[in-house]
Amino acid sequence: MFFLFFIEFKTIKCYKMEKETLINHYFEKLLSAEEQKQFDLLMESDVDFAKEVAFQKSLKKAITLNERAELKRKLTSFEPKKAKVKSFKIWYAAASLFLIAGLGFYFSQNSNTAIYEEFYQSYPNVVAPTVRGEQKEDTKSEAFYEYDSGNYEKSLALFSAIYESEKDDYALFYKALSQMELQKTNDAINTFKQFDLNKNNAFTPFVKWYLALAYLKDNQKENAMQLLKSLSENENPQQEMAQKLLTELD
Amino acid sequence: MSKLDHLTVIELLKKGDEKTIHQLYVDHKNGFTLFANKYDLSSDDLLDIYQDSIIALCENAKKGTIDNLESSLSTYLFSIGKYMIYRKLKTKNKSISIDSDDQFPQVAEDEIDETENEDEVRLLQENFKKLGEQCQKVLRLFYYEEKKLDVIQIELNYTNKDVLKSQKSRCLKQLKDLIKK
Repeated sequence: MFFLFFIEFKTIKCYKMEKETLINHYFEKLLSAEEQKQFDLLMESDVDFAKEVAFQKSLKKAITLNERAELKRKLTSFEPKKAKVKSFKIWYAAASLFLIAGLGFYFSQNSNTAIYEEFYQSYPNVVAPTVRGEQKEDTKSEAFYEYDSGNYEKSLALFSAIYESEKDDYALFYKALSQMELQKTNDAINTFKQFDLNKNNAFTPFVKWYLALAYLKDNQKENAMQLLKSLSENENPQQEMAQKLLTELD
Repeated sequence: MSKLDHLTVIELLKKGDEKTIHQLYVDHKNGFTLFANKYDLSSDDLLDIYQDSIIALCENAKKGTIDNLESSLSTYLFSIGKYMIYRKLKTKNKSISIDSDDQFPQVAEDEIDETENEDEVRLLQENFKKLGEQCQKVLRLFYYEEKKLDVIQIELNYTNKDVLKSQKSRCLKQLKDLIKK
């Protein structure tokens, strides 16, 4: 009698453990094909089992939401005005130093460079992100890979080649950006000039913006201002930045 | 942040290193705004999306899904952002044209959008914080960071897997008792 009870107890315990293992494997994504079958069967036939899985799923969601809220709070705390004020302060300090220096051409050249440094931001690869496994082995991916890795000599060569054969705007755009990154300002200006600015596609405002920055760096302030004015006059992604840069240049 | 050491950055993100997250956040904000501006979304929405993209990046780092990342971290971040922008525009019923070239990374959302059991989830969110530190650790590693029990056992110095398993069951039991109250 006791023996029987013992066996029964053991099977129940085993059964319970097996269920627990199934659920663990489910969350660990370790279910074998056989276990998956068993899991699906229990989900259909065993109310308690299904309840337990649902509970743990809710828990997963609850912890995830908690963690995200926590991180979001942290990120929002990175948002303060302090950082901005600081960079402006540095900029004003730099600007006033230049004012004190007040050396005609020398001044204008340096302040243009300083403004250029302040406003120039590498433009991201927004065309072809590459992750191992999903990568396409073609020149386009290779070009963007080199661009992402900061190998601008290589990306320049590749984008030039793509543009030669396909005449695609993106290739021309990133060719010019590679030249900007390599400090080949005059080359970049010439590349940007190949764009037909009347076309008005997604690249147009960015071409104008970067061309203006390149002009600025090359001390062609008038040309830069002209482009910025056209950017600031109608709605486009760079309108606000153009207005801001214009006020700094005035 | 140099582009070459992005694997080191991923390692630091895995540990939840605050400095690294801060640096990442500041470094990419302008670039992100620059490219996201062309979409018809308010600046509040864009900030929200930017933060959610950083969060998704941190989560994927923790889960090990970007251990073999070949593109730069910034490109990966922007592709997450782009995906989230499209999703946002869709919920606002704004017309969008998705470039056929676009490739999107896997963004963990799985069960997150399901709306059933909302009340239970809310109760769990509150009561989870009342658990002991060790319970929170075990459950967070298992359910949030999606670590396998073998890995958790080593990470938290359990003598064997069974000890860890029964610890986990006890934590679940405690939590169930808490939400019953």
